[in-house]
Amino acid sequence: MAKETLTEVITVGNSGEEDVRKNRSALPWMAENGIFIVTGLLVLFSALFVDGFASLVNITDVFHRAAPIGIVAVGMTFVVISGNYLDLSVVAQVATSAVILLAVSNEYGVPLGMLAALGAAAVYALVNGIAVGYFKANAVIVTLATTYIGVGVLRFFSGGSIFFGPEDGPIRAFGTSKLGPVPYSAIVLVIVTLILAFVLSRTNFGFLVRSYGSNESATRLGGVNTGFVIIGAFFVTALAAMIAGWVLAAFSNTAVSSMSTGYDFQALAAIIVGGTSVFGGKGSVLRTLLGVIFVSVLTNILVLSNISFGYQQVALGMLIVVAVTVDALSRKVGKR
Amino acid sequence: MSQTSTQTMQIGLRETTFVGKLRQRIARRTEGRAVALLAVVMVVVSFTQPLVFTAYPVSLGRIALIGLVALGLTAVILMGELDLSVASTLAVSGVVMALIPDVWMGIIVALGVGLVIGLINGFFVAVVGINSFIATLGMLFALRGLAFILSDEAPVRITNTDAGIAFGLPLLGPLTPRVLIFILAVIALQIFVSRVKAGREFFAVGGNRQAAYDAGIPVKRRIFTGFMISGFVASLAGVINTLERTAADPRAGQTVLLASFAAAIIGGNYLKGGRGSIVGTLIGATALGVLQVAFTLSGVQVPVQEIFIGLILLLAVTTDPANLRALMGSIRSVLQGRLKSPS
Repeated sequence: MAKETLTEVITVGNSGEEDVRKNRSALPWMAENGIFIVTGLLVLFSALFVDGFASLVNITDVFHRAAPIGIVAVGMTFVVISGNYLDLSVVAQVATSAVILLAVSNEYGVPLGMLAALGAAAVYALVNGIAVGYFKANAVIVTLATTYIGVGVLRFFSGGSIFFGPEDGPIRAFGTSKLGPVPYSAIVLVIVTLILAFVLSRTNFGFLVRSYGSNESATRLGGVNTGFVIIGAFFVTALAAMIAGWVLAAFSNTAVSSMSTGYDFQALAAIIVGGTSVFGGKGSVLRTLLGVIFVSVLTNILVLSNISFGYQQVALGMLIVVAVTVDALSRKVGKR
Repeated sequence: MSQTSTQTMQIGLRETTFVGKLRQRIARRTEGRAVALLAVVMVVVSFTQPLVFTAYPVSLGRIALIGLVALGLTAVILMGELDLSVASTLAVSGVVMALIPDVWMGIIVALGVGLVIGLINGFFVAVVGINSFIATLGMLFALRGLAFILSDEAPVRITNTDAGIAFGLPLLGPLTPRVLIFILAVIALQIFVSRVKAGREFFAVGGNRQAAYDAGIPVKRRIFTGFMISGFVASLAGVINTLERTAADPRAGQTVLLASFAAAIIGGNYLKGGRGSIVGTLIGATALGVLQVAFTLSGVQVPVQEIFIGLILLLAVTTDPANLRALMGSIRSVLQGRLKSPS
């Protein structure tokens, strides 16, 4: 009964979207499909004109750097689609997971290390999810607070020191293995993306996340325990951040509390450039993967061209603002 | 939810006794949580680290630093928006000021930079219609990059070091210019939001934006004003920092960000807008400033300090009356098993 009502609300929403599509205008189309063209052009441009981009070493390097950021981004897509802006605490989560994996593995073996990291991810998901889902607190502020708490706890217990993994353990073996030019970490990214894409578009939970993002009160009135959905969205993000931490730890075989600085921002850039709306309700995991490719290639050619860190930050900041502007303006055009 | 609606609601049952009037007055205020935090902090600190009060110039300086940024945030939060870019605005304007040889010229240009940043933020939020959380987050990172570019990724010394040293000395009694500027800013903003029409309209814009439009309030212009205030105040904090330290650090502002947010939110400023006060922010900033100085004097490690400030921010953002109401609603619906079907 309740379920039917909910479906009706969603169908009504969808039919509205079709009207927008009929309204032929360049901007909404650009917001919808621009990323395919822009990413294609960027890759083509870098292959043709940027020295050293098309080399095997560089491609492998791009994969290595894109994998952890990409895994974070596809996970965080859930929080963005649920209409809660973003999860800033992924920075703390990735570092925590990496440090715990190496520190615990050295003492008690890899399975326990993975289990401990899973526990930490669950704690993050619960704190963020309860504060946002049940207290209805602002996600940006909540996750800003949990970032500082998390990094503080990590630095307090690790003393800011660097953890090294064993030279011949399974973690190291995983981090160095490659399938042709593609490192295992990139394969993990693809697997995580496919699983999450399935979860978002085919399962009941994914449906509820999208539904919450497009109309919160309708979802609640449909009899859904919305707090639970939000905890779930943050749990998906936390799990992805945990896996990203493992991949990062395996790649460098070291872990330190500051290793994931800037991940929140790059992941958000990838998600928004991919076309997931910060207004919630609209977006897809596969698009985020495309956004990850775009952001990683862009960062890579900036690095290859010896452009300093400051300019890279400015470029990424502008990228976010431009992408959100396109999204916002296309919505305005659609309304008319 | 706005102040005016509470007042009209209570006209019918006007209290006549003194106690009744007092109770009504207290019920209208929004600073309760800030006062509670301040009381706890003061009691704990006076037992564990009384040095905070004997070394009060240090404490005042710290309060002024947190409070100045938090004041600008308050202006924006009253309208239901947020300015995350303040930390980078502080850094950029500090670097700009240090790069210009002449002190006064540097100060003027740096403050102008703050106004321009506010203008850009206001443009994205009011004209383009981007959510301010995301727009100013983008600006936070872009401006941080700009600060790195301008400073070549290293602290910049100011040319006229004497001016900086003179600025750090007490001017009026034990009060340094920084504290005096902060006091002036508090008074100015308090008058602005409580006595000036434009400032009063901030509450209307935050309380119910559609109603504000319909009442003929120039909403977009108010949003511009709010962001320009927060940009200006943040650059003022940057200028003061640079003068006091005689150098500008492009990484500046990252530690202030968390504390100033905590101060503004625990001060009773509701993040969705329409409710809050300058006095609340002042009390919140005092509590957090005293706490930070007490931590530093007791030699508490920086990570532990961050954990505590982070916890206070988390507590502040979850214990707002509106959030507690939402929680009670969630609990009730869970206890009832399911919500009533709309049909």
